[in-house]
Amino acid sequence: MRHIMNHYQKPTVQQEQAAVEVKTAFAEHLNQFNASCDAVRDIEGNQSSIANEAFKSALLSHKQNKIIQTDDEMEWRHDLDLSKISSICHRRIAGQIEFAVVESLSLKHGTEMKDVLNRGDNVRKVLQGFIRDQRQVLRLWKDDLNARVKEHLAEKYPGQDMSLVADSFEYKMTRAISETYVHAQSQSHGMRV
Amino acid sequence: MATDNETIQATTSPPVERLAYSIEEAAQMLGINYHSIYRLIQRGKLKACRALRGKLLISRDELLKLLKSE
Repeated sequence: MRHIMNHYQKPTVQQEQAAVEVKTAFAEHLNQFNASCDAVRDIEGNQSSIANEAFKSALLSHKQNKIIQTDDEMEWRHDLDLSKISSICHRRIAGQIEFAVVESLSLKHGTEMKDVLNRGDNVRKVLQGFIRDQRQVLRLWKDDLNARVKEHLAEKYPGQDMSLVADSFEYKMTRAISETYVHAQSQSHGMRV
Repeated sequence: MATDNETIQATTSPPVERLAYSIEEAAQMLGINYHSIYRLIQRGKLKACRALRGKLLISRDELLKLLKSE
């Protein structure tokens, strides 16, 4: 018990101020990060219905679906949107259906990128690959932001121990990603009693 | 005391071009959100390097290459 209690370290007034200051300094990052975690969580939670809907769309309304030409000059038919910039598409080759997650990114000066992120003949696996990649993106983001927070604290509070503030920030981001992952596991394995 | 000529030279000298940019700056330059920048890095479309403390930086050349390659 004593050992557990020793883990809890009460923050000093300065550490509390620094925590508020860091939260303000990286507010935009945190907003976007949390929104991205929510978006991934939504896709994970609904992956079965998304995959079914995409499959149905590819089978039933192939000709009505909008054509998207990717930068590698392949033509895909749009099935459904995963986000504002990514969608599930398909194409028919030799009587078979190939699925892909296509990302359309509009850059400044009117340039546009249309890339195939994940592809395969099994729409569920394509979607799972996309989710896995999104988790990697979130981890990359988390690592970068934690490094930035540590740098920020070292510059603003030189010579002071702000590890508690940095650790707390990192914990919150890690938890946001873990919640995403745990949610996905409960969806794919069902409830355990 | 600086002369008038020196003052004019100092104010009109061209800004020094940065070699690398942070994620926010890169996002602003490309006109996309932070998530999209990290996605481009994760996919290898945008190469980033790690600075001393581990934060990511994107070189000016990489950003220009991405804009020109489209």
